Amino acid sequence: MMASPVETTLLSIEAGAQHLMEILRGQASAAGLPPKLRAEWQALAQRADLLSLFTEQRLKEDWKYTPVEFFRRQWVLGQLREAMADFPVVGSWPFAQQVPPSEDLPALRSLPKPTSPWEVLLASAPAHAHYVVHKQERVLLQPAVAEGLVPLFVTVSVAPHAEAEVWLLPSVQGFLLLRLHIDVGTGGRVRFFYPTDIGEGHLYGIFTAEVAQEARIETYDMTVSALWKRSEMKVRLAGPGAAAYLHGASRIPSRHCVDQAIRIEHAAPHTESNQLFKSLVYAEGRSAFQGRIYVHREGQKTNAYQSHKALLWERSAVAYSRPQLEIFADDVRCTHGVTTGFVQGHMLEYLRVRGMPEAQARQLLAGAFLAEVLGKVPYSALTDELYRRMGFAWD
Amino acid sequence: MLTIRNLHVSVEGRGILKGLTLEVRPGEVHALMGPNGAGKSTLAAVLAGREGYEVTEGEILFEGQNLLELSPEERSHAGIFLAFQYPVEIPGVSMIQFLRAALNAHRAAKGLDPLDTAELMALLKEKAALLKLDPAFLSRSVNEGFSGGERKRAEIFQMAVLGPKLCILDETDSGLDIDALKVVSEAVNALRSPARSFLIITHYYRILQHIRPDVVHILADGRIVRSGGAELAVELEEKGYEPLLAAV
Repeated sequence: MMASPVETTLLSIEAGAQHLMEILRGQASAAGLPPKLRAEWQALAQRADLLSLFTEQRLKEDWKYTPVEFFRRQWVLGQLREAMADFPVVGSWPFAQQVPPSEDLPALRSLPKPTSPWEVLLASAPAHAHYVVHKQERVLLQPAVAEGLVPLFVTVSVAPHAEAEVWLLPSVQGFLLLRLHIDVGTGGRVRFFYPTDIGEGHLYGIFTAEVAQEARIETYDMTVSALWKRSEMKVRLAGPGAAAYLHGASRIPSRHCVDQAIRIEHAAPHTESNQLFKSLVYAEGRSAFQGRIYVHREGQKTNAYQSHKALLWERSAVAYSRPQLEIFADDVRCTHGVTTGFVQGHMLEYLRVRGMPEAQARQLLAGAFLAEVLGKVPYSALTDELYRRMGFAWD
Repeated sequence: MLTIRNLHVSVEGRGILKGLTLEVRPGEVHALMGPNGAGKSTLAAVLAGREGYEVTEGEILFEGQNLLELSPEERSHAGIFLAFQYPVEIPGVSMIQFLRAALNAHRAAKGLDPLDTAELMALLKEKAALLKLDPAFLSRSVNEGFSGGERKRAEIFQMAVLGPKLCILDETDSGLDIDALKVVSEAVNALRSPARSFLIITHYYRILQHIRPDVVHILADGRIVRSGGAELAVELEEKGYEPLLAAV
């Protein structure tokens, strides 16, 4: 993969943030939003303190474990193009229709208020698309960024009892800034696939979902390569019986960084969530995982689990894990588990005693480490492709 | 096949083997018995090339080659197999993946092409039947969630698949119930051949009732203090170690 052609002068963090803000504000049209929301968000975008929010956010808890060097680059606004994805899109579901913005669109009604300057500026990005899924359909997003910084904002409404797949297949050599919101109606089902293999590209995705009664969402955030990738996932289980199952497998090569910030809100009784994330970090790579389970007072009988495991390939690999629980209901089951460690010597030895050279044995163990998550991907063609790209194909 | 002369081995600076000498010829079955702490498992570990064992004196020749110069994988390619006393769990790696990788590593070392899937599966199913293992077992992760007995059977299954020249069984009989012991013993007997040797490390006579050894050794305090035929194991079973060691 080519290095980004936009890399020019390194600015100070403050100047870089100012530069980013100017780019995003310069494009702010809010044309894709219905009038009421547009007015509200445009007002936010003009806030005088946005710059300080930008520059201070690196000190905030959910940012402080990721290097914010991309702030320091001088970006230009690039162009967003649809591209043919080279990941397999499995099955033959029809594609969802893109629709014009409307006050009645559930995804826009349930869009959460912005919690960061990024979200404020993104919401008014010109590349703003709405999709509606009525029965059983797929939303295929293939943003291609050849150079520069490109913002993209997408909302998806999934009708009650409808079934949707959202595939995000980015191709990025510059910096893609993406905001995706999914509203899952009562009894709806959503699977979100997010395989990333962008080499030296930068990718910042802010994903939110509102999940209604008896609805469920599954996410598969898989990273083969990305110089800098941050995924913020905020799922609100809004109706009784709603459920969220989040999966992440990251292979983080040297100098690359994958940062995941998860927040699951249990805002109704009898809701369930499960987070299973694994990071394989090579020498001088960096993984940051911050997962928060937030149980509202109304979230009685919540059942929530969160797990993050990091395997460090060398001593110079870095992994930060911060599991967080905030519980305001008294009848819940919330647990979490975090492990970070190196390849286990006794496993390596066992394989070598059976005849495998050390390099092959280590590769087998690396693949095995991620297999727990990759094995959950419901399409074997995608699983196989991920194994192949990660270098763990055994057949 | 295997010649060990005056072998001294230390672990963390403490001498465990103190001048062990042993000769195993092709086709022979040797049983190595001895009280706890005598150094039996240390010998097995040193032969397989496990880490943490320092050879301070002596030599080990395997088919004329200096074994101590070889890495664990090279020893495996040369034909040495260790059935572990405590087999390791490897979550996420199925028995098929594991044995495919191991077999193909052996084949690569011999300059052979990898086995194709049909050949591999035929071999695995044939050997699984020898150990009376359900073929579904092949899809399970290596030793993960296995009972103690299943792990030991899996070790012998791996041995059958890899077809080594020298099979070292480190207390394979411990943790096996009567039926499993019989199955494992029958499999070992089926694998006996004029070109294949066995070194069976055990505390108990019962496995030797099923796998008749050619030679029985008693190891005590890091040395072989007595060797004999299969009748020596019977004598041990009747009298225990104390009178035999007192007479040395």
